[in-house]
Amino acid sequence: MNYFALQKKNLRKTYFLILIFMLMMAILGIIIDGLFSSFPVGTVVLIIIASIQVLVGTQSGASLVLNSVGAKPVNEKEFEEKQLRNIVEEISIASGLTVVPKVYVMEDENINAFATGFKQKDSAICVTRGLLKNLNREETEGVIAHEVSHILNKDTLLMTTISAILGTMVLVQLFAWRALRFMTWSGSRRSRKKGKGDSTAYIIFALLIIALAATLFSFIGRITIFAVSRTREYLADAKAVELTRNPKGLSGALRKIAKTQKLKQKVKGATIATAHLFISDPLKRNINNKEGFFADLFSTHPPIHKRIATLENIPPEIVLRELQEL
Amino acid sequence: MLIFGIVLAIVLILVVWFIGAYNSLVSRKKRVENAWSQIDVQLKRRHDLIPNLVNAVKGYMKFEKETLEAVINARAKAVAGGSIDDRIKAEGELSGALSRLLAVFERYPELKSNQQVSQLMEELTSTENRITYARQFYNDTTMKYNTSIEIFPTNIVARIFGFKAFPFFEAAATEKETPKVDLSF
Repeated sequence: MNYFALQKKNLRKTYFLILIFMLMMAILGIIIDGLFSSFPVGTVVLIIIASIQVLVGTQSGASLVLNSVGAKPVNEKEFEEKQLRNIVEEISIASGLTVVPKVYVMEDENINAFATGFKQKDSAICVTRGLLKNLNREETEGVIAHEVSHILNKDTLLMTTISAILGTMVLVQLFAWRALRFMTWSGSRRSRKKGKGDSTAYIIFALLIIALAATLFSFIGRITIFAVSRTREYLADAKAVELTRNPKGLSGALRKIAKTQKLKQKVKGATIATAHLFISDPLKRNINNKEGFFADLFSTHPPIHKRIATLENIPPEIVLRELQEL
Repeated sequence: MLIFGIVLAIVLILVVWFIGAYNSLVSRKKRVENAWSQIDVQLKRRHDLIPNLVNAVKGYMKFEKETLEAVINARAKAVAGGSIDDRIKAEGELSGALSRLLAVFERYPELKSNQQVSQLMEELTSTENRITYARQFYNDTTMKYNTSIEIFPTNIVARIFGFKAFPFFEAAATEKETPKVDLSF
């Protein structure tokens, strides 16, 4: 696997995604202007919003994500956290990263982890308290190697950009639907009193179109992310094995994740916009363990039993049966 | 005129390719050298760690004097330096001695519960991993570099400028026998 080629590919994809995002926002602006005949105000305003969002996303994407889950930097006086920091340094050496990623811990009982950062030199890895408690050194090494691989392949760049963009799209969508609900409610009252039904009906119609367009765009955005995200996980698994020369660590960790997944709640602070960053789905959506057309479209992560089976080189049905028996 | 143009184009392409090939060889070579220096950094870290470790466990391991002395002696030899071959041999001995110490450590439950000792042991485990990973990375980059100076057509550029292959890092015989120690406390 040539990760220099992968890096370039991910860089290209990132630019492409940003371009698509700007286009979608521009189209939304044109729709708004067309409906209210206010060209070019709406288009310009939305393009400016999109540009600011991209800039903010690229400058502070990592810290936004880290803040949203309440991550804290490792405390080296704690034995477990010092060990985690050591493992990150070891794997950085194995991968030839020149700058060691920053290490964070989030207070959550699930076993989960993610990597983020727009540039390689300010990338960060965050793990849950549950991971520190439940995994042994070998398994933690596997998970960290998986996350370092994401940084190495510039997956984090792609994913952090996606988080920022999707965040905006979801925001526009929510705003449009709320405005629509507000207008229909107040519009119906006003029209009874003053009889200005025609113009309010037009505004409601316009808002409906905007809301539908925003929903469609964020839907397209999500499907794209899901597709990108799923292939990334297999690649990072493979690279993690190359780094540690030990498939058992990561597969052991994934087994523990699969076993505790049914019992635990979803990860605090994780949202639709950040779910794809994690090593396993933090929102516990059932779709991620299913197969077939819809699962292929909507899941952010490949089924965990398939990942374990690939790592251990055994048929996936055996792993699935084993996990279901618990 | 047309022929002249074609020849000129070919020459230009060749020159550009030549520069590109030379530069990629140089950057690969630098990567190998950097990887080699990483190993040195980690070995130094190991040398610095050992005196503290030995002092911390001395009191507990009264019956393991031989193991401890082997570690101390191997460290002294490794620090003393000498030719590259001597150093590789000394470091190999030190690795062997340390892995025996880690194995012995498993037999002392009171050592495991001692916070200071378990921290030092974690540092030792981490250092051993770092050395292994640094060597692994050195070997990986060396393989890429060595391949590129041998394959056609970059081998022509490599021969003109005298690029030489780097040796691979092979585990010393003592290390290969190392018992597998599970240090997941």
